[in-house]
Amino acid sequence: MQVMIDGNAVEVEPGTTLLEAIQGSGGHVASLCYDERLDPFGACRVCMVGVEGAPGPLPSCTTLCREGMEISTTDETALRVARAVVELVLSELPEAPGEHTALAVVAKQLNVTKTRWTGAVHEKDEDLRHPYLAFRHELCISCGRCVRACDEVQGAFALTVTGRGFSSNVAAGVDSGFAESSCVSCGACADTCPTDAIVELRLLELAIERNGSGE
Amino acid sequence: MVQGNKAMSKTTESTVSTTCGYCGVGCRLEVHPQDGVIASISPAMDGPANKGHTCLKGRFAHQFTRSDERLTTPLIRDGDGFREATWDEAFERIVSEFTRIKSEHGPNAIAGLASSRATNEDCWAMQRLMRAAVGTNNIDNCSRVCHSPTSFALRRCFGYSGATGTFNDIEAADAAILIGANATEGHPVVGARIKQAAINGMKLVTVDPRRIELADYAELHCSMRPGTNAAVILGIANVVMTEGLTDEKFIAERTEGYEEFAALLAEYPPEEAERITGIPADDIRAAARIYATAENACLIWGLGVTEQRYGSEVVQLMCGLAMMTGKVGRLGSALLPLRGQNNVQGSSDMGAVPDTFSGYRPVSDEAVATMFEERWGTSLSREKGLTIPQMFNAAVAGELKSMFIFGEDVAQTDPNTTHVIHALESLEFLVCQDIFMTETTKYADVILPASAFLEKHGTFTNAERRLQMVDVAISPPGDARTDFDILTSLSAALGHEMNLATPEDAMEEIAALTPVFAGVTYERLGRDGLCWPVEADGSDAKILYAETFANDNGLGKFNALPYREPGEVADEEFPLILVTGRRLQHYNAGTMTRRTKNLELLPSDWLEIHPDDAARLWINEDDLVSVRSHHGRIEIPARITDRIEKGNVFTAFHFPELRTNLLIGDSVEVNTGCPEYKVVAVDVRAMSEAPSDTPALVAAD
Repeated sequence: MQVMIDGNAVEVEPGTTLLEAIQGSGGHVASLCYDERLDPFGACRVCMVGVEGAPGPLPSCTTLCREGMEISTTDETALRVARAVVELVLSELPEAPGEHTALAVVAKQLNVTKTRWTGAVHEKDEDLRHPYLAFRHELCISCGRCVRACDEVQGAFALTVTGRGFSSNVAAGVDSGFAESSCVSCGACADTCPTDAIVELRLLELAIERNGSGE
Repeated sequence: MVQGNKAMSKTTESTVSTTCGYCGVGCRLEVHPQDGVIASISPAMDGPANKGHTCLKGRFAHQFTRSDERLTTPLIRDGDGFREATWDEAFERIVSEFTRIKSEHGPNAIAGLASSRATNEDCWAMQRLMRAAVGTNNIDNCSRVCHSPTSFALRRCFGYSGATGTFNDIEAADAAILIGANATEGHPVVGARIKQAAINGMKLVTVDPRRIELADYAELHCSMRPGTNAAVILGIANVVMTEGLTDEKFIAERTEGYEEFAALLAEYPPEEAERITGIPADDIRAAARIYATAENACLIWGLGVTEQRYGSEVVQLMCGLAMMTGKVGRLGSALLPLRGQNNVQGSSDMGAVPDTFSGYRPVSDEAVATMFEERWGTSLSREKGLTIPQMFNAAVAGELKSMFIFGEDVAQTDPNTTHVIHALESLEFLVCQDIFMTETTKYADVILPASAFLEKHGTFTNAERRLQMVDVAISPPGDARTDFDILTSLSAALGHEMNLATPEDAMEEIAALTPVFAGVTYERLGRDGLCWPVEADGSDAKILYAETFANDNGLGKFNALPYREPGEVADEEFPLILVTGRRLQHYNAGTMTRRTKNLELLPSDWLEIHPDDAARLWINEDDLVSVRSHHGRIEIPARITDRIEKGNVFTAFHFPELRTNLLIGDSVEVNTGCPEYKVVAVDVRAMSEAPSDTPALVAAD
């Protein structure tokens, strides 16, 4: 079938999502909860695009292409929604996300430099019990990527999202840390996390530290 | 833009794409070095085998590269210890000893082992060093002790020594039988792929004496008595035959020898298979139906099949099962051996084996030998050399005087440790090339400090027959050199200049001398690699045997091989059967993983024992127990679990202090000499008192 992306005709297979079609034709849509290794989830509402005739912007990761669809990746309403979502996400974090994180990259792409909203931010809550993987719960944005990577890539089913609303966060097992859960330490969660809420401990620093204390 | 991977390159100096040096899955890795140290490793999103995933070994277990215990300078024996030496001194010593031994006893008094953790180019240089510089076919590698039976069987039935497809067959299959492999621990990324496939509807049958993790995701789990794999396959094949589930067209057009095979199958109805294996007859019927009625199905196996007395025969029977159902040669229908180490496929492909040149061409083949002689400008032996077990026997007998052991800890990993140590002690001159001191280097006269996979350039060949690039992320520490540099330099010192300045030069030579690698170049390998055979035009073979088999007449061979009892059976004195295997957190001898924080995740090992056996023997959880076999005795804590069948016990082999391989005997695979690690009769009993002060390294009477 054929769809129009920003005015260009693109051939796609039935079952292709808008996001896949856009990426396949060399285009780009910012997203937070999408990872090509995982099934589309549609949680973050950042990958919004405009579609001719639709009542409003649509999430490109979970919307399937239809014959003749006209898609706009520069739709102002869609981008306004995406920016607002990223601003809301940032407003909950106690610090700006590290430059290398997907959240920082997406914020930059959408020209979100600060948040208009003030209010509650997450309190620092680190879990450093695992030798390689750290939780920094204050950075969790509940996108579910780590949970899905654990389920769909590794199949360890060690992670879950607990709590509701502002309190929702990721936990290993019954919130007992990686080591006490069914975690197999594969690191897929840290690999996909867009904020460093799950992060590989800085091995370089550890190595230096160990060498220093080992003298 | 890739959304998955952290943009680590922004926080480190650079990113180097390479191939993992742990198991045979062949994950492609993005390595992020910083100030000469690995800062982090992430999986390559486009890795053909790993597709953006890796396990805790590939991703995290890299700190061993900068361990304080790395060998950084050549060492020469000095009394009971070693003294530091220059490379010149070390080489002079090796040259003078090799020359002396050659002149006194001939070149066959020297033997070499290539490393299956090293690159193809390293293994190429090693076999050339032994064949051309020393003048002997006494060259082998550790595939001898793992998948040599697979290699033998696949060559005999189909033609090529390697998987018939790739791991992509797993997702394309409607069903699979996994036998003798604990994939989620031994080959975690493929284990994860099998698990996901099973979750997504692939009907999985697991066949293992332990209820492995994947059994929980299987349609059917069959626990056989260790050593009875042949009867499992024969029973399944019998059901396929009697229930008319065969692919008659495939049998008629593509194969030969089915009549004899079918006649043998008639002797193994499910009830007879149940009597031998302990698997209920109805489960054997169910397994046969799941496999045979699936449109596409795979057979996947590991060392639980091969490290047994008749391992190569079981693999041949599996080839027969695949052929009688027409399940070979197309996407989703493949035979996939899970190779143990990163380059155990490649080390044998390169001819680092005593009976064949690269591409599995016999050393006695006059035309091939002549071609090598012309290229290398020296005469070569047409006589088969010694296999690893034969080398140790020859050393004890005083016929073998010297060994060059490259990257293998035989004193920990080979069976019958007492015998191996006796052999090493019997040698007049032992050279070890390694990155750490090991149990084996204790017996060395010269130790050469070498490089880890993150420090070298070349290629590995994974379990899919896929050659993939290996690149340099960090430098070897101190005066350590790359293995390729050491081997080519030593060869020159021995008077045989290889004229191979770089690993890439070696690959050009490999391609020129080996038809199955004819089209391999580094440029063509790129990021995706190539699955051999690779034609001169660079086209490769993801799926083998789509049209014909690679045998002389193009027909697949059925071999009618009956079930035979394993080399060891339980008896009154040794009533339990010990099975050994891997744990997720560690890797083989543990040389690498025990020098990482993986040791925090799993600091020690244990013996798994069934609750009924534990109760009968008055063994409680965590009790220290004595495990005694015909060959040795070890002490180890017990853990009680119903994941193992009554009558069997299990432990891993990653911890040198436990010395599991003291227990393993001389029983070997009939065609290949692969040790029978998987079936050992043992006596287990609680230690009545605190652990004795007697060192564990004492052979039983």
